[in-house]
Amino acid sequence: MSSDDTTPGEGSAQADAPRTMLSEVRRLRSEARTTRHAYWLPLVLFGLVIAGSAPFYVEPTHSSGFTAIGGAAFPGFSPLLGGQPAVIVYWLLAIGAGLYATSLWYRRHGRRVGLMTPARGFVIAGLIAGALVLVLPTVQFLPGDLTIRGTLPFLIIAAALWVLARAERSAALAVIAAVFTGTALLASLYNVENVLFRLGWTPTGAQWRLTTLPNILLPALVLLVSGAGAYVAQRRPRMVAA
Amino acid sequence: MMAAHPTRGLDETVHQRHRLGILTITSEADSADFGYLRDALELTAGNLSRHLTVLEEAGLVQVWKGYEGKRPRTWVKITADGRAALTTEIAALTELVRRHDAKTPT
Repeated sequence: MSSDDTTPGEGSAQADAPRTMLSEVRRLRSEARTTRHAYWLPLVLFGLVIAGSAPFYVEPTHSSGFTAIGGAAFPGFSPLLGGQPAVIVYWLLAIGAGLYATSLWYRRHGRRVGLMTPARGFVIAGLIAGALVLVLPTVQFLPGDLTIRGTLPFLIIAAALWVLARAERSAALAVIAAVFTGTALLASLYNVENVLFRLGWTPTGAQWRLTTLPNILLPALVLLVSGAGAYVAQRRPRMVAA
Repeated sequence: MMAAHPTRGLDETVHQRHRLGILTITSEADSADFGYLRDALELTAGNLSRHLTVLEEAGLVQVWKGYEGKRPRTWVKITADGRAALTTEIAALTELVRRHDAKTPT
């Protein structure tokens, strides 16, 4: 690439110069996005956060599916009637810590590669979504079905992922956010174990207490598998560059 | 009435290919490190500094220096005017190519 200045009239007489410049713009843009992408960690982190909540969703006694509505203080955060303080505390702490860790991760990654990602929006979106999810069910703005299974925190994570996809300008992350949102809605509105029953799973005895877990583990699996795939994809260009 | 020729949309400050490169990269991030710009555009430090000064004086980027430990680092951030100028430049270039392709017999 020459470092000579080019005046507006000179190169524009031919189409080759503008074509070359547009091609160069696309190349630089693509390289910058590839360098900036680091979303594998938030995907894995929130996948682990969701998987870590699984013990709270094990039924204390035998029943076929989720037993009742969420906690009185935070409907949608707890799968049991009256609410379990432990699961509510877990979600509030885990989501807050996850958002904070993600912002630190992007700051560190930005310093390392020389391109900072505007990750502040991700944290703000997560906090706003969290506040809405806390407040709206208490004023009956959300359909009750969304709060029945205590999986509303998944929707906070989904909202944050959409904002992250925009900040990263990543079509792949937008697809992952769409798949996760669909899975989160499915887990909030449907007993996923019914699918496993149709596939041949016949729980016996104490296994009935675990029948609520597919609703938790399916969204976690989506994030963990996507995060692992993103890790491999995002690591490769840096290894080549190194 | 004929539409203005797309070259009228080209700004001398932005049209220079390295300055266009700086604006392109900084528009993709919250801010870009001097070292990243130098490597991506394959420029010397002095050359990059010269282009950054032109862009900063035109109000298209902001440049600030900081430290990471004991290591000095310079960061560059595109301004709202810089984004607008980049959009105009890319639209003008795209229009030039379109006009040329429309005139070229297939």
